[in-house]
Amino acid sequence: MSNATVEASHLGKAFGSRQVLQDLSFAVMPGEVIGVLGKNGAGKTTLLELVLGFTPPTEGDVRVFGHTSQRMPGETKRRVGFVPQQDELLDSLSVGDQIRVIASFYPSWDASLIDRLCGEWGIDTRARIKSMSVGERQKLSILLAFGHRPDLLILDEPVASLDPVARRQFLEQLVELCADGERSVVFSSHIVSDIERLANRIWILKEGRLFWQGGLDSLKESIVRVHLRCRRELPENLNFAGLLSLRRVPGGGTAVVRDWTEATQSEVIQRIGGEAEVETLALEEIFLELHR
Amino acid sequence: MFILNPQSGVPIYRQLLEQVRRMVASGQLTPGTALPSVRELALQHAVNPMTISKAYAMLETEGLLERHRGKPMTVAGQARAQVSAAKRVQQIEPLLDQLVLAARQLQLTDAELVKELRKKWEASDE
Repeated sequence: MSNATVEASHLGKAFGSRQVLQDLSFAVMPGEVIGVLGKNGAGKTTLLELVLGFTPPTEGDVRVFGHTSQRMPGETKRRVGFVPQQDELLDSLSVGDQIRVIASFYPSWDASLIDRLCGEWGIDTRARIKSMSVGERQKLSILLAFGHRPDLLILDEPVASLDPVARRQFLEQLVELCADGERSVVFSSHIVSDIERLANRIWILKEGRLFWQGGLDSLKESIVRVHLRCRRELPENLNFAGLLSLRRVPGGGTAVVRDWTEATQSEVIQRIGGEAEVETLALEEIFLELHR
Repeated sequence: MFILNPQSGVPIYRQLLEQVRRMVASGQLTPGTALPSVRELALQHAVNPMTISKAYAMLETEGLLERHRGKPMTVAGQARAQVSAAKRVQQIEPLLDQLVLAARQLQLTDAELVKELRKKWEASDE
């Protein structure tokens, strides 16, 4: 048996005749932080719910700590933490009571960590949950997922309502959590710059498929924008290895290229009879380029 | 100590790699200097610890850093002597290429470029 935290093969999900996810195979290893990117409706939430076993797959399977996710024994479930997009806090409780309710499920609950985080994050344990703002609720919901020091933490769009200070505190806590190199985190977010800081692997979901999965570093090293300049126009049928898209402008154009190498560079320069300037891209730019 | 910009197109581990190489080559980091721990750097910049350890491991393989059990990594004893001037020039070559390209686009002469470069050089000396 592999020591992967999560392992999926040919995973698919359809709701009636609507195919939401198709043929996803992936693994999450201990110590990895996976950033899940995709446009609205790309299937991110469904993917996370399949991993958590909240809903059965229609094809393939997904295993968490070696157990089919829908049939995780209680002991395995307690190794998983989850922050949903919509919090599941109980309006009628105070913050302190809510913390006690959740803590009672977990023998490994780290009360001193939670006390410390309540202080640092400015969470008042006497406050009524129904009187809290959306951002405060989100903070509490994140904090609750840290309390049992999960070996696998799954977060669905956790920071959408947090201010920059709270987001930074959240990121620092994630660093703390994964600093021992044994825990895994999977989180989806539209705040690409957060993913860029924390993730070491990226999954890009596009139209229900895993369009790209791999190291963030190799993604950044692989996909570049190349500004082409030549005396006249670019050749009519310009094409070369790895070309993803090409926009022509008078006297040149801009190409987005995968696996750009020096060999490609000399080939291209020769064919256009001009020059090529390479620009590396931030993750957000890469995401946009892959969705043009 | 280091400037890491996660939003750059250059991967974080590579930024760290290049800064340590440059600082060792120039003698800003002298043999025996202790580096911040992986955890410290990761927390300070809110970046993934694995990214930092990847850079440190590569620097160790290059012989620039030394690992010690339970203690911080240090700059290796002979790190500077191993790096020839030619090697050091190689490290700033990509920046030079960019600079020359930009200067040509702006139709500056080589003399003008060198003059401006010298001004900056002297200003940074003070």
